[in-house]
Amino acid sequence: MTPLPLPLLVWLSPGFPVGAFAFSHGLEWAVESGAVHNAAGLQAWLADLVAHGSIRADATLLAAAWRAVDAAEACAVNDLALALAPSRERRLETAAQGNAFLAAVGPAWPAPAIAHFVTVLADGDAAYPAAIGVSAAAHAIPLHPTLDAFTLAACSNLVSAAVRLGPIGQTEAQAIIAALCPALARLAAWAATSSIEDCGTAAWGADIASMRHETQYSRLFRS
Amino acid sequence: MSEFDPIAVSIDGSAESVLVRAAPSRPSVSTSALRAAFARHGGVTQRVRVLESGALRLRLPRHASPCEGIILNTGGGVLGGDRLDLAFALGAGAAVVLTTVAAEKIYRAEAEPATIATRLTLAAGARLDWLPQETILFDRARLARSLAVDMAADASLLAAEMLVFGRLAMGETAVAGSLRDDWRVRRDGRLVFADATRLQGDIATILDRPALGGGARAGALILFVDGQAEAALDPLRAALAAFEAVEAGASAFDGILVARLLARSPEALRAAMVAALGILRNGALPRVWQ
Repeated sequence: MTPLPLPLLVWLSPGFPVGAFAFSHGLEWAVESGAVHNAAGLQAWLADLVAHGSIRADATLLAAAWRAVDAAEACAVNDLALALAPSRERRLETAAQGNAFLAAVGPAWPAPAIAHFVTVLADGDAAYPAAIGVSAAAHAIPLHPTLDAFTLAACSNLVSAAVRLGPIGQTEAQAIIAALCPALARLAAWAATSSIEDCGTAAWGADIASMRHETQYSRLFRS
Repeated sequence: MSEFDPIAVSIDGSAESVLVRAAPSRPSVSTSALRAAFARHGGVTQRVRVLESGALRLRLPRHASPCEGIILNTGGGVLGGDRLDLAFALGAGAAVVLTTVAAEKIYRAEAEPATIATRLTLAAGARLDWLPQETILFDRARLARSLAVDMAADASLLAAEMLVFGRLAMGETAVAGSLRDDWRVRRDGRLVFADATRLQGDIATILDRPALGGGARAGALILFVDGQAEAALDPLRAALAAFEAVEAGASAFDGILVARLLARSPEALRAAMVAALGILRNGALPRVWQ
């Protein structure tokens, strides 16, 4: 059994300063509209994001960025990741976290490939999965555990958002994360051998939810 | 992408194979191409070149203003293995509306997917309305589709595509198959918008999921890339809100307006599309839409 690379535990912990807690990925609207109103509904919504939605797409983008041979190729993946954001708030969500991730990793975990990526980005935004993929590769962290950690963090963050939004309690939250772990592991294993051609979604309902969130009257979250 | 995507089919825990049967309508697969260039001369947009091969034709009503092109697939639908290549280029200042004469039918595929590849090129100040009628995916159809746009910084693009899953009028409720749909829009050389749809396996079951189709059998994407795109957001949202049978959202950023629509009924979807496109167009919709 290969040991778990420790930087991943740091980079993808809720304490890493990317501001993940501020984003609900449209979940706040799904709760408001009643599409998600209990633990079963939340689990179904998240399972969709894993199997057919943004978590699946971001996993393939992370993998493509991890495999990039140089900063130019990584930037092409980054541009695609930004362009694929289906709404203004989802674009903000990936760019704010991507920029913050690089700002935190750059000084604390320096590596030439990360510095090159930042240079080629110039004043452009970093997409979150691309920033993680580039940083993991720069530190010779294998792709598969990076994907495991990323998909789990993405899911956990949304479960945590749901707890704050009210439809589930802490006990249910942990049960949902546990229940989703097999699907996350399947996704990570598949994405580790995916190509950028596999990147895509069918989560139109979640995309619409992120658009509708922009005009939601009362909001806790930035997306 | 591998033919078998373990993620896509794992939603209900079963990995149903996609059975294939021959489509009865046409004996063999075909390759068709349609290429056309338009230019503005003396304040009027005219075609400068049209190349047609295979089953694709372009009809240009004489007195349409702005210039209108109606795409016709004389093959009467698209079989697995068929390839349709379309390319349209607009010169500086040209204004063109492109649509299709009828809904495009994608028949069940033997093995190979049908391929439809469209390239749109817009020079400085050009305006293109890409408004094909809906694409209907029959049960066990396979389609790989792409829309690649290369536009000048001050060109204007309105693009809308509608998809219908299954021959609903014939009571076809089980819809399996596969769909890859890739949009890539470059403005001044920079990728500013992309959309990637990946649907494979039991499409009806996938569409019934809450974060996916929410029970819809028809969906649409509208993209408006224009200097005034963001100003159209509030009117578009107001127009879409009037359709209770359509789940819709719209967002705008960076000179781009995007709207996504879902509906159980293709007719409800089309009604909302007519209203939405009316906001984003200066004139009436092409007559084939009415």
